[in-house]
Amino acid sequence: MEEHAILEKEIDKGDFSRGGEASSELKALLRKLGINNTIIRRAAIVTYELEMNIIIHSEGGNIKAAVSSDEIFIYIDDEGPGIEDLEKAFQPGYSTASDEVREMGFGAGMGLVNVKNYSDQLEIDTAPGEGTSIKVVIAIK
Amino acid sequence: MIQQHSVLLKEELCEGCTNCVKDCPTKAIRVHQGKATIKEELCIDCAECIRTCAYHAKYTRTDSIEDIADYDYPVALVPPSFYGQFIDYSPGQVIKGLYKLGFKGVYDVAMAAEALTYKTIDFLKNTKELYISSSCPVVVRLIKLLYPELIDQLIPFKPPTELMAQSVRKELLDSGLSEQKLGIFLVTPCPGKTSTVHNPLGVDRSFIDKAIPVDKVYHSLLEVMDKKNSESEGKKGLTPYLGIKWGQSGGEVDLIKPAILNKTIAVSGIHNVKDILEEISRNNITDIRYCELSACTGGCVGGVLNVINPFQAKYNLKKLAEEHNKAVNQDYCLYSYQLSSEFKPVEVARLDSDIEKAMEKLAQLEKEIDLLPGLDCAACGAPDCQTLAEDIVTGKAKRSDCIFILREQVEDLADQMSELAHSIPPIMRKKRREEKAGTQKEVLKGENNKNESK
Repeated sequence: MEEHAILEKEIDKGDFSRGGEASSELKALLRKLGINNTIIRRAAIVTYELEMNIIIHSEGGNIKAAVSSDEIFIYIDDEGPGIEDLEKAFQPGYSTASDEVREMGFGAGMGLVNVKNYSDQLEIDTAPGEGTSIKVVIAIK
Repeated sequence: MIQQHSVLLKEELCEGCTNCVKDCPTKAIRVHQGKATIKEELCIDCAECIRTCAYHAKYTRTDSIEDIADYDYPVALVPPSFYGQFIDYSPGQVIKGLYKLGFKGVYDVAMAAEALTYKTIDFLKNTKELYISSSCPVVVRLIKLLYPELIDQLIPFKPPTELMAQSVRKELLDSGLSEQKLGIFLVTPCPGKTSTVHNPLGVDRSFIDKAIPVDKVYHSLLEVMDKKNSESEGKKGLTPYLGIKWGQSGGEVDLIKPAILNKTIAVSGIHNVKDILEEISRNNITDIRYCELSACTGGCVGGVLNVINPFQAKYNLKKLAEEHNKAVNQDYCLYSYQLSSEFKPVEVARLDSDIEKAMEKLAQLEKEIDLLPGLDCAACGAPDCQTLAEDIVTGKAKRSDCIFILREQVEDLADQMSELAHSIPPIMRKKRREEKAGTQKEVLKGENNKNESK
């Protein structure tokens, strides 16, 4: 089924003040398409976690979202350190965030865990020093 | 069901400024032909436009105190915030005054609020998630409209006003009063609560018959109440309950938090409420179990139908709450807390009922947004460019409603006209040139004359 791009956003490293913008925008767009509220919320949570990951861990990147008549796609692409140990990254509570970031209430080690829990399909392409690309698919029906 | 809103417009007073349009939290207002119009399906009766309008063109439709005469047995339900309106009169005097106005019974909504406190604590002890208070009807409507994903996190019980009305109704009908004779009047601080009488939330039909605004009751009361010299008599009269705290922001939470390790938060003011709902929606709220949200800043004491300023009202109520800090002796099981009608989402945001068509419209929407200047000036009558773009795509507005686009179109037209003006047929060109030279000479002559006359 054909994908229609609906959102594209550049995200800067450390730009906490704009964290959540992509998620809110996506939510508003999906609501205009009349997508089920539970699905919208899953997409919003996944997007929020992913955009915060770019802000906290990378050197900057972008987030894109697209829809087809039966799926929502969320893509992120960042420049940064990559994820060293994917297995650990999926352990609840495991975090590489700095103390400063944790003090702000982020970096609780639930980011990728939430992404996984709320998505139907998750592909991660990462290597130390090479950045991270992630594709998430959420079924609409 | 036909929506019956309480916030309405006095057209003759509307100047067509767009202050209300820009401040509306649900983008429910547009200015068309110089007058504001409220989109019924988007209005949540929060009263922000009443607060914003400098021309007092917005008002609340309410029932009148004269309606008491229509019932053989009218009773008044007094919300906790009402006592905050008085500092020279005790609650006892206020209640006596209400009897003098013709009510045959006066009941404190604070009683039900107190009972609901304990019911809510029980509920929170048996659950794990974050829950949102459903006592402010405007917050419930906002969630139904803009945050439907959070409906399941609303406390699934009736609000204190309906609980109290149901309990009073049952008590009086059980005592032999006939249904036609009984009229339950809610003294209301806000249009939000007024609307629940006609558009009930969580119940199939409201247990309240009429809503009369605080300001109307207040002035009538001042005429009949005993002055301060009889204070002792008043204080010994009826006592408000612990639940009186619910009348101001933070009050609900004060009563609930000790039972759940202080994991509560109180937020007031509709724009703040939107902000926290946004955070809850993206799962960015940690450790909190109960959110008390009030649409009016400061809670119900900040309602637009109140008389005195909200700061003084808050102080008055706080002082009263300190004096009356004991729980009332009542059976909490007598209330029927369960909702008889679930909170349901309001689906108005979608561009089309068919997802493929909606996607096409979304693409069109993006194009329209790119065309518009992005200044959000509201001169088109919509709150911002995004909303105008939506109105264009859904056929409710024209692109030329944007004054910048209109100006560009005029400029293009002027260019075209100029171009056309210069492309006159060859036979006319000579004549035209002569005419022009003639007028220039005239002008020069005129200027010379001016210099001479000096």
